[in-house]
Amino acid sequence: MSDFRQSQNEAHPNKTNTLMTGIIFLLILFVTIQIWFLFGALNNALQENLNFAITTALGSLVFAFASFWLLKYLPEPIKRKMKK
Amino acid sequence: MSKDPNSEIPKCKQDFPIEQKEATHVSRREFAKFLTLLSGALAVGNTAIVVKSLAFPEKPLEGEHAICMESEVGDGDSFMFEIEGSKTIPYLLINLGNGEWRAFEQKCTHLSCAVKYRHDLGQIECPCHKGYFNPRTGDVIQGPPPRPLPQLEVVIREGQVFVKAQQT
Ligand code: FES
Repeated sequence: MSDFRQSQNEAHPNKTNTLMTGIIFLLILFVTIQIWFLFGALNNALQENLNFAITTALGSLVFAFASFWLLKYLPEPIKRKMKK
Repeated sequence: MSKDPNSEIPKCKQDFPIEQKEATHVSRREFAKFLTLLSGALAVGNTAIVVKSLAFPEKPLEGEHAICMESEVGDGDSFMFEIEGSKTIPYLLINLGNGEWRAFEQKCTHLSCAVKYRHDLGQIECPCHKGYFNPRTGDVIQGPPPRPLPQLEVVIREGQVFVKAQQT
């Protein structure tokens, strides 16, 4: 018997691919911004610029939560019917 | 499928139950999870900076420290010394001539090379990447250093040179 999910996958075989690529691109974007923040905070902490450190830390946390939340939308691998 | 001699043996009892292709393959799901983990680690690192600077603020230098005799450092000369605190920091004492004295942290603000005073140029030079500082204020004149050199106040009493934290 085929269910809704299965017929969707058959009708749009590229959907998983697109979702996956989108999520990975977003994640890479987040991580890049976080590296930028961290670099800035390290530089500024040396100058005792606490405000900057706090702001970037908050921003970084927000991005981290956003990344974890994105994982929710990771598509399930399409199960091939292996067994007969 | 062709006849596989292993197929009768259950997977767990085979000599190599995991195929190399499976073991070395990183799926996109795993990659995405790895990126998320990295993102979490970066956030933790960034928070650690805040926690560290809140919990262990750097103390300014306390009291006066005797460095050397005034007569030991001639006009246009400099003198290296260290002050032990929570960290041991190397400093550079400079006699600019005409009774003008300055003391700066000796670590370049770019990548922590030791700076030296060039009396012929009238500037403090960092030999690593040719950064130059103003020997009166510590400001950056040229080159990659992003910040001025931290400065100490110099006091001369009875022929002896003392340094203390600068009043702001
Ligand atoms: S370390 Fe001084 S200019 Fe780079």
